[in-house]
Amino acid sequence: MSIAKFLVRRTLQAVFVVWGVVTIMFGLRAVSPGDPATLMLGEGATAETIARVRAQEGLDEPIYVQYLDYVQGLLIGDFGYSWRSNREVEAMVIERIPATLELAIAATVVALVIAIPLGVVSATRRNEPADYGATLFSLLGISTPNFWLGLMLILLFGVWLGIFPTGRRPVGLVEAIWTLVAFGSAGDLLTWLQHITLPALTLGTYFTALITRLTRSGMVDELGKPYVTATRAKGLPAVLVRYKHVLRNTMIPILTVLGLQMGTLMGGAVITETVFNWPGLGLRLIDALDARDWPLMQGIIVFIAVAFVTINVFVDALYSSLDPRVNDE
Amino acid sequence: MREDVLRVEGLSTRFFTGEGQVNAVENVSFDVREGEVFGIVGESGSGKSVTGLSLVDLVGSPGEITDGELWYRDAELADEVREEFPDVVDGEYVDLRGVPESVRTSLRGTSLSMIFQDPESSFNPSLTVGEQIAEAVEVQQRASSRPRSTRARTDGEEYSLGSLVLSFALPSRRYVSEESRERAIELLELVGIPDPVERADEYPHEYSGGMLQRAMIAQALAGEPDVLVADEPTTALDVTIQAQVLDLLSELQAETGMTILLITHNLGVIARMCDRVGVMYGGEIVERGTLEDVFRDNVHPYTEGLLGSVPDLESVGGSLDPVPGNVPSLLDHEMEDRCYFADRCPKAMEACLERPPDTRVEADGDHVVKCVLTDLEYGESPPLPDDHFETEGADASDGGSNESADASDKSASPDGGDSR
Amino acid sequence: MISDRITSNLRRTFRESLLPKIGMVLLVSIVLMAVFAPLLATHDPTRTGYYDEGGNAYPPIGTEYTTQIAVDGEIQEVEVTADSAHVLGTNNVGQDVYSRFVYGARISLLVGFSATLMAMLVGVPIGLIAGYYGGRVDDALMRVADTMLAFPALVLALALIGVFGESPVYVPDPIVSLGLADGMPESIPIPGTVTIVAALVIWVWFARVARGEALSLRNEEYVKAAKSFGTTDRDVLIGHVLPNSVTPIIVLATIQVAVIILLEASLAYLGFSGTTLSWGYEIERGQDILRTRPWVSTLPGIGIVLTVIAVNLLGDWFRDALDPNLDEGQRGA
Repeated sequence: MSIAKFLVRRTLQAVFVVWGVVTIMFGLRAVSPGDPATLMLGEGATAETIARVRAQEGLDEPIYVQYLDYVQGLLIGDFGYSWRSNREVEAMVIERIPATLELAIAATVVALVIAIPLGVVSATRRNEPADYGATLFSLLGISTPNFWLGLMLILLFGVWLGIFPTGRRPVGLVEAIWTLVAFGSAGDLLTWLQHITLPALTLGTYFTALITRLTRSGMVDELGKPYVTATRAKGLPAVLVRYKHVLRNTMIPILTVLGLQMGTLMGGAVITETVFNWPGLGLRLIDALDARDWPLMQGIIVFIAVAFVTINVFVDALYSSLDPRVNDE
Repeated sequence: MREDVLRVEGLSTRFFTGEGQVNAVENVSFDVREGEVFGIVGESGSGKSVTGLSLVDLVGSPGEITDGELWYRDAELADEVREEFPDVVDGEYVDLRGVPESVRTSLRGTSLSMIFQDPESSFNPSLTVGEQIAEAVEVQQRASSRPRSTRARTDGEEYSLGSLVLSFALPSRRYVSEESRERAIELLELVGIPDPVERADEYPHEYSGGMLQRAMIAQALAGEPDVLVADEPTTALDVTIQAQVLDLLSELQAETGMTILLITHNLGVIARMCDRVGVMYGGEIVERGTLEDVFRDNVHPYTEGLLGSVPDLESVGGSLDPVPGNVPSLLDHEMEDRCYFADRCPKAMEACLERPPDTRVEADGDHVVKCVLTDLEYGESPPLPDDHFETEGADASDGGSNESADASDKSASPDGGDSR
Repeated sequence: MISDRITSNLRRTFRESLLPKIGMVLLVSIVLMAVFAPLLATHDPTRTGYYDEGGNAYPPIGTEYTTQIAVDGEIQEVEVTADSAHVLGTNNVGQDVYSRFVYGARISLLVGFSATLMAMLVGVPIGLIAGYYGGRVDDALMRVADTMLAFPALVLALALIGVFGESPVYVPDPIVSLGLADGMPESIPIPGTVTIVAALVIWVWFARVARGEALSLRNEEYVKAAKSFGTTDRDVLIGHVLPNSVTPIIVLATIQVAVIILLEASLAYLGFSGTTLSWGYEIERGQDILRTRPWVSTLPGIGIVLTVIAVNLLGDWFRDALDPNLDEGQRGA
């Protein structure tokens, strides 16, 4: 199967998945208790106003009409209006994306930069102190709830040592870089770095630990394969055997796992944003849930689902470019 | 007489596994002469593959060379290390066991190279064949561009992690140069691969087994080695392809003058290719000498049993299933202090209950046998009754011993097992 | 189902390595603590109002500290020593931290194990059937599985709790009903929606593993043979396919228990659990007073970490002994 055909199929599957998410969310909203109009207007609204709003929002239509309206709206990028703030949901989602994206990327970078060398060292120095250290670290990492880790980091680095600020995001990365480029001032960038360090560590630790474990076990398997002996037999420097050959082959399956773990990353982001008061999508989702603001809640979840499947299609594409065998199956 | 290029003295390689210590290679001695084909023949689990890996210093954990000397002839190397390690230099010979690991590493590929039995698992599946051969060319190019004296010392820094990271950004800093890629294509052509330019860009799974074995030979030749260790180079191939690959090896040997150490369980291959032979059993070489010594004037009953099982020596397909009984366990605690073959030997005598020494058949020849029959006639020592070993250890012939033989076979063959 | 070979593997790995022993000791201790919580607790964990003279939470025993006391409308700083009745102090609503720690183990373990069991009971049959029959059934299952995986577990849980409420289930405490412990709560609330949601989130992993096993066994000779003798599909599935899937499922289940314990803690932390007797909830409660009363958040966190480590160590042990092919990819939530 050619790469193009493969990607087309994966994309169609992705569309199906997103449709599933949209439908489930709509279903949940339909069965959830509480009258939307009352939720929108508050308890004090008169029956008359409520009736008017119901008609306006199409809430008196049969359920399938409401569903088709909703799907139709999504297709043209209309996610509806927030019940609480009466703002467009698209705008409320989009304005929060940079914060969450920064956090997710920073955490992923932390995870990859620490985990891969740690996994390699652990696998190549098996049963030496470095391996025990890495194993202990990764065991702790996958066993620690990230909100608690966040609090402990706040306590240690924020309260006791006073090195890092303990919450909020006074400046975004894009603005910070802009200040650096336009005015030559690195101050904003430094502020950004200071503020994102603890949240990124909080969100990244679980993944660091997970990838360390994956890299170690994958690499141990891979090192036992005959081609490794053959590659060493031809005199290739150890660095190339280890990284160009073995690590590369180890990373191929890990990549797929990481794609699937994006859901965990997003869930983790919700928690981390709550702990650090980081104004991203996760924090907004919690607010929406507390307020039972269904359109906003739906909008955020649909967005997350789209992001998830997009990343996974991307991962599949990367996978097939790394592993030559995939395309011939 | 041609000179020795390699002298192996008292080599022992052990594996320290969960089930116990496995004596995969025990006190093995032989010499390999320049330009010859030296064969090592034995059943699965006899330690022949581990012997090959020991020579190129590729015995991986939990295995370890525990004893012995590997004298390799290299005048330049001898000059270089003489001052620092005078004990391990003898004329033009250097004991590779006595020099630092970096020196041994620097010899790999360029002085001693190895090819393996299963070409499909011996190539990295996710890099093109051309790239992998070009890597071997590059090893040779880089080694020969530097004077011998600095080679071993700088090996550790030769290619650092930093250079690798840099090469992602700068293609010109990549390890493999364009010239090496071109040379790789030439090598593919040399070993008889059609359309080498296109084939170089293909991945191992796109090759047939025979083609891939040719590619592996090309890869081994890239380093222009003095000694090529070929571990079962034809076992995984069809019979017709086997003959082609053997012919190719002979041709290439004639062109380059390299020495080949051929490891196989196939007596037909031995008869066809080798000048001299060593027969391995239970981790030991039980008989060694010229092809004639071993095939016609053999002394050891095991050798005799091996040969008896092959009806026609010219048939390449002839393989071993010689003597009734199981391959001995190589687990240290299960090995008794006797001739390891005695329990299967039709001519076992009481004298066989002690370890037999290496004995020369003729005082000045190099036909060496590890068997009391070299000096005794059968019957000079009281023959053992047929059931001697059955009564001694009841479990020696039941399923239990079978299982442990399998286990030791596995651990003794980290390259994937002789049995495949 | 569990062959001698498996048990001997388990025993050997346990003997040879230190980590499974640590995991076993930890888990047994935590289970014992949960079971005998009413006997081990010093105070009713739900009773509020244990404050010092100044109306502040007690610090752990032996700490000398200052508290504010209002005397005649004026606030004075007074040096006091912590009340010896509260070994680990009290929280900001005046509950005994130690007693709540002991009770918290119950929620973590109950939710972790019961949700995993539920997910297994749902996921394994579905996966077996899908893998065994293949075709459309299988395709449909895999699409549903993809959809489930596209939902971040936590987000799905939040949405479902938003719809169905928290629905705590009150389970009577056998030790208290037997009259063995006085002054302890007579029942403890299990977070119902959280348990069901957790099961809903992870059943997909069980279905995937069971499907994979069924798929590979479908073409085995002995399964074909059994079918040719007229054995019904149901008997083939239960008699041949299921037993062969047992080991990977056990390994997966262990990993999932750890995942669920973390998920429950996260939901409780966010305030969606429906029970206040949870370690996660307690951590949230301590967050506001992190600077002045750090022990309130610290202790339950240690409880979660130790429990999850114990389960993970046992999971690693099972995996090493039973099925080295299963990997971390199954650690999904």
